Amino acid sequence: MKVQCGLCPKKCLIEDGQSGECRVRINIDGTLRTVVYGYPCSIHVDPIEKKPLFHFLPGTTILSVATVGCNLHCKNCQNWEISQANPEDSQAYACPPEQLVQLTRQYNCPSLAYTYTDPVIYYEYTYDTAKLARAANIRNVLVTAGYINEGPWRQLLKYVDAANIDLKGITDDFYRRVCSGTLKPVQDALVIAKASGILVEVTNLIIPTLNDKPEEIRQLVRWIKTNMGSDTPLHFSGFYPRYKMRHLPETSLKTLETARQIGLSEGLDYVYIGNLQSKEGENTYCPGCKKLLIERVGYTILQNQLKDGCCPDCGREIYGVWK
Amino acid sequence: MTRRRFIQKIIGTILAAVAGFVFIAKKASPRKFIRAIKLKKYPGSLKPLQKIESQGKWGG
Repeated sequence: MKVQCGLCPKKCLIEDGQSGECRVRINIDGTLRTVVYGYPCSIHVDPIEKKPLFHFLPGTTILSVATVGCNLHCKNCQNWEISQANPEDSQAYACPPEQLVQLTRQYNCPSLAYTYTDPVIYYEYTYDTAKLARAANIRNVLVTAGYINEGPWRQLLKYVDAANIDLKGITDDFYRRVCSGTLKPVQDALVIAKASGILVEVTNLIIPTLNDKPEEIRQLVRWIKTNMGSDTPLHFSGFYPRYKMRHLPETSLKTLETARQIGLSEGLDYVYIGNLQSKEGENTYCPGCKKLLIERVGYTILQNQLKDGCCPDCGREIYGVWK
Repeated sequence: MTRRRFIQKIIGTILAAVAGFVFIAKKASPRKFIRAIKLKKYPGSLKPLQKIESQGKWGG
């Protein structure tokens, strides 16, 4: 008997003994099963700035976990060795939700990130762990492409404190050609997440020749401002040739700086540059008086001037979770 | 065409349209989300927990 998975917009109709597009949700005798529940392929202690999250507990560490698989197949995926791997060809840790929460405590991390591949495809593992973590006063962070249906998304967000969500492009054509997905569900997920009250930061990876046109970047920025608010932090991230896109050049610092300027000129309060070091693109400035609030180099914080989440000079409240 | 034949044709057309609408609506409407059940055994191989304290090599 076929089974339809209702988790993501792909709504895979799965034959008996087969998996969905994500490779990790399978039909066994007419029942949908998740093969990666409790079996992460990667667990590490990362700086939270690596997610990237710049407005959530800066300077802290975060236990970061992933299983293999992904519901998108981005040709530029930087983690394709795990995101596009079959579970049967991979190595994993046996680590049930309780142990993950315990490890987070053991390594003194105030938060736990579901990241590297996409927490959407290991949904049940993420959900159950997040619920336990919340009860243990540990914050939950999602790093995701946001390709998920509304029902399960809303359910999961109840236990989430912050998310970095990719907006990989602003055209449906880009999502179809590069990511094997579609744009609308991602836009919906972004709006729902922001409206739910969790802290949301957005990442846009700029790929030369594919989504680096200033008009396209302007369109993306305007969409964020209109639909999510000008306080939404946006990270323009640099592309490196990977996976099926080794023929394209790296993103230049100039392109990223131009994108940042477009973001700021269009009225976004916090626009950052990622994957390449820049003089100002990693710092947080007060949108009111322009004072330097948080100075960063890579994942290191050199100074943090915030006072109770506000600018010490003009008193403006800065969007974020600071303690 | 007789009156009976004419009415039969109209009813047939309406039934076909309703069946088509139901089919499309069923496909388009979001399915109720059902949790997947955990599989007891991992299909790949297992490794011991190690090097957790180090920064991950993966992006994100």
